[in-house]
Amino acid sequence: MRPLDEPEMTQVLEKLHKFVGSNLKHVLERPSHEGPDGKGGYVFRLHKQRCYYVSDALVRRATNVGRDKLFGLGTCLGKFTKSGKFRLTVTCLDLIAAHAKHKIWLKPSAEMSFLYGNHVLKSGLGRITDNTQQYQGVVIYSMSDVPLGFGVAAKSTQDCRKLDPNDIVALHQADLGEYLRMEDEL
Amino acid sequence: MASEMEIETLPGAGGEHELDLGNLLVAHYRDPVTLSNGTAMSEAERDVEYVEQGRNLVQVLVDRLFNMPSTVDKTGRLVTLPKPSFQLPREKPLPKPRPMTKWEAFAQTKGIKKRKRSKLEFDEGKEEWRRRHGYKRVNDENDIPIIEAKAGDEPGEDPFLKLRESKKERVAKQDKNQLENLKRAAKQGGKGALPSTLQLAATSLAVTGGKQPGQKLSKNDLGDAAGLASTATASIGKFDKKLPGEKPAKKLGKHRKFLPVVDGQGKEKELITNVMKKVLAENDFSGLDVNKAVRAHNVEESGKPSKKVGGKKRAEGAFKKGGSRKGMAPSGKSGKKSSFGGKSGGKAGGKERKSSKR
Repeated sequence: MRPLDEPEMTQVLEKLHKFVGSNLKHVLERPSHEGPDGKGGYVFRLHKQRCYYVSDALVRRATNVGRDKLFGLGTCLGKFTKSGKFRLTVTCLDLIAAHAKHKIWLKPSAEMSFLYGNHVLKSGLGRITDNTQQYQGVVIYSMSDVPLGFGVAAKSTQDCRKLDPNDIVALHQADLGEYLRMEDEL
Repeated sequence: MASEMEIETLPGAGGEHELDLGNLLVAHYRDPVTLSNGTAMSEAERDVEYVEQGRNLVQVLVDRLFNMPSTVDKTGRLVTLPKPSFQLPREKPLPKPRPMTKWEAFAQTKGIKKRKRSKLEFDEGKEEWRRRHGYKRVNDENDIPIIEAKAGDEPGEDPFLKLRESKKERVAKQDKNQLENLKRAAKQGGKGALPSTLQLAATSLAVTGGKQPGQKLSKNDLGDAAGLASTATASIGKFDKKLPGEKPAKKLGKHRKFLPVVDGQGKEKELITNVMKKVLAENDFSGLDVNKAVRAHNVEESGKPSKKVGGKKRAEGAFKKGGSRKGMAPSGKSGKKSSFGGKSGGKAGGKERKSSKR
């Protein structure tokens, strides 16, 4: 377990910024209420090529666990691939859903399709936040405001109106179904 | 002396021919330029003549070869060729004589001649003939069973050990002298003076004062080479026994230093805020004036704006670029286009307009 160095930190924050935008400040300066005195903030730690978003107090406790015995801590944001690139996994959904800037709501009929890993079609699109640019990171919700996953907007909000029902509106990156499908890889 | 080159005249073509059986060489040196009737030959005729002569020459050689005394071999007849008489020139220059070693020089001055020693010597103790050098040699120091103590010996010393050490010293001294001789030879005569086995060695001797710079291995190079060699085993040198005092291999790869895991005195916080600022600044476009950017982009695309001369031109200009013209400063100094507009008027102006439309 070690803190991230600068290039790694840049990668992580850039990925987060895609989804939370200027709310990144809130994410990083969030106060935590864990620990004996209820103070402290959140930090990033790298453990076995995975980046975790943990409260400071928890990190101290986690140092008591041996490196090979430690499975994880806090919220896993994503992992660094063999070539050094950073990928977000579904486990960070809670965090980014709380601070997301651009959202997409799905119709009930399209929910299952998305949870199986398919992209979001125009026919399944319920609502979309205004001035979403193309290839902007979006968090995908159900109509009852339950975050289902996240992805990338394939078309901007204006272009979405002119699409065919079978055109892709949002490209799938992660969804809740991965907890079942890719249990061992998380 | 090698067999003489046979010079004889061949029928069918004038001139002398040389035959060297040792090299299987037959040569004719005169160029057939003139025909028998005295006129000069053409190219085609010359070719024919060459082929004819060549055939004759080869015939002569083959005849001579087959007339030589031969022995019968399982593959056929075997002829031993005489020594070649035609001297081929040297491929490489003559080797320079090796400079004398120190002993050779000394022996020459003193007049010491080399003595031929016999291979066997009579061993008094064993009363038999033994070799001078090698296995079961005369006076082999390993064979001595007992060494008597002399008056000057100290009680704790091992005489056998002393014998072995003195032998090592002598060998080392001899090696050193050999090396010195080689260095001196290389210095005097260059690389060619060394025996060829040494010339091929990868690192040449570092000759002090010589012209060639020696490729000395530095301490680091040696260390690197040793490290490479030690890891070039099946298990990357992990289970090899190390010599006493041998340092473990230097770890290769970039050295990375990380912040401590727990609370590095606010350094981590600092890093996070710095990176956050950078990320936010990169992606923040709030300081952009879109209209200004559009204008700038249009100006860039169309090249320099032309001078507004005459109402017609202005109308045309407005038609071309719409609202962007309004934002531009009136162009006093403008590009090439405006010079036409300035000078001409009327018909000429009309012409210019046509060309600009194109």
